[in-house]
Amino acid sequence: MNATTRLVDIVNRSLDGPVVEERTFDLTHVAQGVQQVVSDHGIKANPDNIVNLDDDMADRVWEAAVDLFATCGVFSKDTGRVIMFDRDEIEQIVRDAPSEVTIGEGPDERTEMSRTLDDPRPPLLMGGPIGSPTPNELFVPITRSYVQEPIVDVACAPTLTTIAGQEVRTKSPLEILAGWEEAKLTAEARHLAGRPGIGTTGIMISISDLANLSATSSGYVLPRDMHTFGIISELKTNNEIFNKLAHTVLMGGIVDPFANPIYGGLGGGVEGVAVLLTAEMIALSVVFMATCCGSSPTHPFHFHSTAPEIMRATSLSFQALARNARLLTNLTCSPVGGPGTKTVLYEAIAYAAMSTVSGASRILGPRSATGVIAAHFSGLEARLMGEAAHAATKLTREEAEAIVQTSVSKWEHLQDQQPYGLSFPEVYNVETVQPTDEWLGMYEEVKEEAIGWGLPLDS
Amino acid sequence: MPLNKWDGLRREINLGAVEASAAEALRLVEAGEDPLTIFLEGIEPCLSEIGDRFGRLEIFLPELMLSADAVKAIQVELLPMLEADGSDYMKKGRVVIGTIFGDIHDIGKNIVSVLLQVSGFEVRDLGVAVPAQDIIDSAKDFDADIIGISGLMMPSLPYMRDAISLVKENPELADRFRIFVGGGPVTREWAEMVGADGFAEDAVSAVEEATRLMKLVKGESV
Repeated sequence: MNATTRLVDIVNRSLDGPVVEERTFDLTHVAQGVQQVVSDHGIKANPDNIVNLDDDMADRVWEAAVDLFATCGVFSKDTGRVIMFDRDEIEQIVRDAPSEVTIGEGPDERTEMSRTLDDPRPPLLMGGPIGSPTPNELFVPITRSYVQEPIVDVACAPTLTTIAGQEVRTKSPLEILAGWEEAKLTAEARHLAGRPGIGTTGIMISISDLANLSATSSGYVLPRDMHTFGIISELKTNNEIFNKLAHTVLMGGIVDPFANPIYGGLGGGVEGVAVLLTAEMIALSVVFMATCCGSSPTHPFHFHSTAPEIMRATSLSFQALARNARLLTNLTCSPVGGPGTKTVLYEAIAYAAMSTVSGASRILGPRSATGVIAAHFSGLEARLMGEAAHAATKLTREEAEAIVQTSVSKWEHLQDQQPYGLSFPEVYNVETVQPTDEWLGMYEEVKEEAIGWGLPLDS
Repeated sequence: MPLNKWDGLRREINLGAVEASAAEALRLVEAGEDPLTIFLEGIEPCLSEIGDRFGRLEIFLPELMLSADAVKAIQVELLPMLEADGSDYMKKGRVVIGTIFGDIHDIGKNIVSVLLQVSGFEVRDLGVAVPAQDIIDSAKDFDADIIGISGLMMPSLPYMRDAISLVKENPELADRFRIFVGGGPVTREWAEMVGADGFAEDAVSAVEEATRLMKLVKGESV
C-alpha cells in the first residue's frame, strides 16, 4: 500500500469507526483499558530500579500495549469516532515500519537506525531546546551553540517569542510570519556553525496546520529535515494533525510525530504509563505513519521527563519496543534544571544513560528548565548528554542502572525547587558562542564526577 | 474499634462507586443524619484526602474522575434537601474552565477541573481551543464566580490575554468574574502583567487559588 493510499485508509477509518463520547473514550477505553491490560499481563515494575532489568516484563508490556491499542484505537475529536486497527493489522504495519532513515545532507548526513538493548551503536543526538521560548536576538546564537557541537548529529531549534515586536498569535498571519522566520533563522544558524546540511526539525511556533504547512514550504527546510508534530494526549487526533501528516507524506518528508503521556493522568502510575507510552508509540507508527516515533512523558506538576518514576516507566516501555519491534524511537530529555546548575548536567547524564541502554534510536534536547523559561538552555548540556549516551553504549544495563541511581540522588530533592539556573547570555558569550569559564568548569567537574561513578566519559 | 459512621460513604467515594455512594448517602439521611453534616463531616474530609493523595501521586486522574462522579451522584440526591433547608453549602463557588483558543491540550486542564469538583466547586468545563468571547459568554450563562483558563502553547497566550481584557475592560464584568490562569509557559509574572486575578502553578495549587479567589468574591480576607 503506497503512502497516499494508506493515508486515505486512515482518514476513512476516522469517518467510519465506532462512535463514542470523548469522556467515555478517556475513562473507559484508555484509563480502564490500561488498568485491564496491566492486570491481565501481570505487569509490575521493580520499584528499586529505574533502568529495567527484566526482559520478560518488557515483553509483557509489549503484549499489553498491543492489546490496549487493538481495543482502544485513536479517538478523532473532529468526527467523534475511533480509528481502529485489529491486532493482525497492527503487527503487520509495525513489521513494515522503517528501521532506518537518513537525515540531513552532505558531510552532515546521518542515519538513524533502530537499536537493540545493549546495542554498541549510540543513539543519534538531536541537540536543541525544541519548542522552548527564545527572544529573536538569541535564536541564532542559541541554535548555533548546539549545531556547532560535533557530537550533535541532528538539531532541533527553539521557538520565537515575538515576530516584528509582537507576540505571536496562532491561527493568525503573525504565526505564518513567525514560522517562516524560525525556518530562516534555523538555516542561518546551520550556515554560521559550518554545518549547512545538518538535519533539523523545529518550526514549533507554527502549531496550526496552516502555519506549519506554510513554513515547511518556505524553501528553508531541507528535503531530509524532519517534520515534527504532536498528537493529542492520550491517543487522540483531529483533522489539523492529519493535515500536517498529509502535507508531509506528499512532500516525501520524514514523518516525526510525538505523543507525550502525562504521568498520573489517564495512564496512572509507572506500569500504566509504560503500557500507554508503548501503545502510543505503536499508534504513531500505525495511525500517524511515523518514520520516527517520539515521546517525552511528562510530570504533572513539574513538567519534566527526568523524574525517577517517569524514567522507570520510560525505560520499561522503550525496552518493550526495542525487544519486540524495529521502530525508530526517540526520547526528549526535559530536565527541571537549567544552565549554570549541576542539576541539569546530572539529569542529562541519567536520561542519556537510561535511554541508551533501553534502546532509543535518538535522544533530543535537553529542553533545560523544562523548556518553559525563556533562553534558559545552551549547547553545553547537549554536549554532555551526547557524551553520556556514547559512553553508556559501553555499559551493561546493570552498570547503567547504578549510574542513573547515583545521578538521580544528586538532584532528586531539587525537583520541586525549580533550579532553572541562568539564561544563555549569562553562561555563553553571545558573540563568540562559547561557554563561559564558569559554565565550562562546572561541566568538567560533573564529567569527572561521572567518570568516578563508572561512566566511561574518558574513553 | 467501632467503624466511623462515615467510613462506608468514604469507601464508596474512594472506589468511585457512583450508585453505591449515592445509596450510602441516602441511607445516612434515612438513619437521621443531616445532609449538610454529611457534606461537612463525611464528604469534605474525604475529598481533601483524595486531593492530597493526588498531590503526592499516590492516586491518579482516573481515580479522581470516578470519585468526582460519585460525589456528583450524591449531590444530585442531597442537593434538593439542602436547598429545602435553605443551606448555601452548594454555593462554594462556580467555575468556568477551558483551554484557550488554538490549544488542544486537555489533560492538565481536566485534572484541575476534576480537582475543583472533588473540592466542592461547581464546574462547567468548556473543553479545549475555546475562543475568548465564548469563555466570557459561558461564564455569564453559568453565572460563574471564577474563570479558569489553561494554555500550554505560547502562540495561544495572546488569546488568554484577550479573555482577561474582555472582562477587565468591561465595566459590567470587571467586578463580576475573577480569573486565574495556568499552563506550561504561563508564569506568575506573566499572569500579573496581563491582569489575571490569580495564577496556578499546577493542578493542586489551582484549587488553593480558586479557594482564595472565592474569598475575594465573598469579601473575606485572604
